[in-house]
Amino acid sequence: MKARKVKKLDPDGALTDNAQRIVAVRLKELRSFAPRALDPGESGALHDMRIAAKRLRYVLETTEPALGSSAREGARTAKKLQDLLGDIHDCDVMLPRVRAHTDRLRAEDAEWVREAAGATAKDLAPAAVRSAPHRARYRGLEALTVYLTARRAVLFERFLREWEALEAGGFAVRMMEGLSPPRPEPAAPPGEAAP
Amino acid sequence: MAKARPIPGLASETRFGDAAAAAVEVRAAEVFEHSAGVLDTKDVEGVHAMRVSTRRLRAALEVFAVCFPRKEHKRLLREVKALADALGERRDPDVAIGALTNAAAELTQAENAGIASLTAELREDQRRGNAGLEQALERVRAGHLEARLAALARAARSDAAEEAATP
Repeated sequence: MKARKVKKLDPDGALTDNAQRIVAVRLKELRSFAPRALDPGESGALHDMRIAAKRLRYVLETTEPALGSSAREGARTAKKLQDLLGDIHDCDVMLPRVRAHTDRLRAEDAEWVREAAGATAKDLAPAAVRSAPHRARYRGLEALTVYLTARRAVLFERFLREWEALEAGGFAVRMMEGLSPPRPEPAAPPGEAAP
Repeated sequence: MAKARPIPGLASETRFGDAAAAAVEVRAAEVFEHSAGVLDTKDVEGVHAMRVSTRRLRAALEVFAVCFPRKEHKRLLREVKALADALGERRDPDVAIGALTNAAAELTQAENAGIASLTAELREDQRRGNAGLEQALERVRAGHLEARLAALARAARSDAAEEAATP
């Protein structure tokens, strides 16, 4: 997922001004994935949202000395979101891996049992399966598939709750408002009393 | 996993280019500090620490992109990404093996044969990932990535800041 371009960055400008522009774009980018990512079947959108959370987190961590405690808090929020989406992603990666492994073992076993029957066999008794070399492995792999499927569902429901709470609490607006540290007042012209 | 080191001298009014130089210097140093022992498959934390450091360096290069000479920045970002990818190819099986080991501890003996079978397949991925990482590290050494990142950082710094940074 390519990062959105941030416009009007100035190498000679102040860190705060540039950082605020970057954070604003990264926040918008993160939130833009929400409609699709709230569908449990949209694993691609969830993955993109995780990358967006990571980008937001790193810009906040890097510029935190300039942006203050709101950046620190924002980085923590982004990390929590990134970790949760990462756990869902781990399930999305592992599940097809377990299924592919099981399919391979099944195919090897079928081939083994077929060959054991001999080239001229007319039929095959169920007992022939007893000699399948991977027979003892399926139970654990099926249990793992069940676990990963259920864990993914639990994590996704937690993500929905946590995202809803973040949005209901206006986290994006609060973060942006908190990123404006007070600037030093310009010095009063000579002879003019400070208010 | 080590926490990111604070970047010295960053404040609200710090010139963006000077912040870029400081950020890349600190983040690049972290990457190379974590490179020792990274090929040891028994110590999975080393590769994790280097991968996270590489991600942070990549983030700094992306955040401050506008401050660096364009061509060299693009080239270095590509090289850092290649290193990060090689670290990922090694780290991903480490994580999966760890998760399977934890799962196996909570399943029954009868279920562990299947977990062990998948773990063996992942060990092969880990071995391949390690071989790829060894090659990636060699490319980093031969391409003088560390020195070129230092030069890139200097190019973003103003003369005044460079003078102040020179001992």
